[in-house]
Amino acid sequence: MGLDLSVIARNSNVLWGGFLTTLKLFGIAFAGGLPLGILLGLGRLSSKKWIYYPVSAYINFIRNVPLLMVVFWIYFALPIVTGHNIGRLPSAVIAFIVFEATYFGEIIRAGFQSVKKGEMQAAYSTGLTYTQVTRYILIPIGLRRVIPSLMTQTIVIFQDTSLAYVIGLREFVRASTVVNAREVRSLEIFGFVALVYLVICLAGSTISNRLEEEGE
Amino acid sequence: MANEKETLIKIDEVGKWYEDVQALDGISMEIDRKDVVVICGPSGCGKSTLLRCINGLEEFEEGDVIVDGVSVREVRGTKNIYKLRSKIGMVFQHFELYPHLTALENVTLAPKKVFNMSKKEARQKGMELLERVGIPEQADQKPGELSGGQQQRVGIARAIAMDPQTIMFDEPTSALDPEMIRDVLEVMADLAKEGLTMIVVTHEMGFAKEVADEIAFMENGNIVEHNDVETFFKNPESERAKEFVDRVLVHI
Repeated sequence: MGLDLSVIARNSNVLWGGFLTTLKLFGIAFAGGLPLGILLGLGRLSSKKWIYYPVSAYINFIRNVPLLMVVFWIYFALPIVTGHNIGRLPSAVIAFIVFEATYFGEIIRAGFQSVKKGEMQAAYSTGLTYTQVTRYILIPIGLRRVIPSLMTQTIVIFQDTSLAYVIGLREFVRASTVVNAREVRSLEIFGFVALVYLVICLAGSTISNRLEEEGE
Repeated sequence: MANEKETLIKIDEVGKWYEDVQALDGISMEIDRKDVVVICGPSGCGKSTLLRCINGLEEFEEGDVIVDGVSVREVRGTKNIYKLRSKIGMVFQHFELYPHLTALENVTLAPKKVFNMSKKEARQKGMELLERVGIPEQADQKPGELSGGQQQRVGIARAIAMDPQTIMFDEPTSALDPEMIRDVLEVMADLAKEGLTMIVVTHEMGFAKEVADEIAFMENGNIVEHNDVETFFKNPESERAKEFVDRVLVHI
């Protein structure tokens, strides 16, 4: 059983293409999930019932179903309801934003709750409005407190993107199976893919740990 | 002050409950423009709550507070509450500085956002204020890098950055080490000379004697006695205030 590592180089185009799709999916899911998560975090702390209850229901619902289910709904079920098929990448992107935002939202809510009431009162006492206090005090202080947890969740998103595999989106994992179907070199190909995920996620968690230490 | 006395803040039978605990019991009080009023009394008597009702940080169920002709009850829940608050600076027992901003940014945030002051203008004003409270060299430090006394002086600079008519102090020296208390009290005494209206919740009776015009003694959510400083210390009307004065005068 000799290893033939040249299989990676021979198929670097396909693998690279898949990797880029993974990055794209991850980037958009993060860029969409984080702001939505901030809004959800604010909603969870809202004193207005018409905001609090729908937001809580949404978060509790999504967090109690598997991500795979959400991907299926958006890709298979949504077109039946709306009559429009939006395609694989947009479906996956929407599913990830919808799903990851709830996890971000709960982390961010905890961050907002850690902001001292007195700091908010001090800001109000200077004449700042609700929007200004939220933007300049609550969000920056609250987010800073939970950066390590947000980093950890971000790493999870990166790994989660591989689930887009099931709707046929040719992301990194899918691309590797395509290559493997042709080359039948599972050990080398899947070993390589795992190594890439490992290196990236390890780098991410190292940064996260650093930030945590600095924060203390 | 030689000027005619003019009521700036009128507290009119304000009642407030926390759940079923009554914090303020139909309290009434008038504060004249440019006066320095010290509010004292045992902890839990409602002093801090009263301050927070004046600028609408706490809601109250009964009565009203009129600040310079504006009813807090009426502007509450509208945009005008922000305007009212910007005219009343507040200094907190535990400083409550914004931990993510430098000393200078703590001071300039409100002028920048509320008055749309330019960065340069705000910086200049912020530096002037930090000089006034005696710590311009700490401008670029974060609150976590400052001593308690320095933090409280930033807190005072922040409170006067909006050029308020009134400044309220909520036990400004209670959380400070003894040697820092005097620095902060000196800054406060300087402000009093400049004609700001001041409401000071404090146990520092030395400060009250030297700087205040009037003293109010609170207990159980109401005012037991409100008098000019001399009368309060020499000839208090109420038994309760007499008791209090006898006990604290030993320490002055």
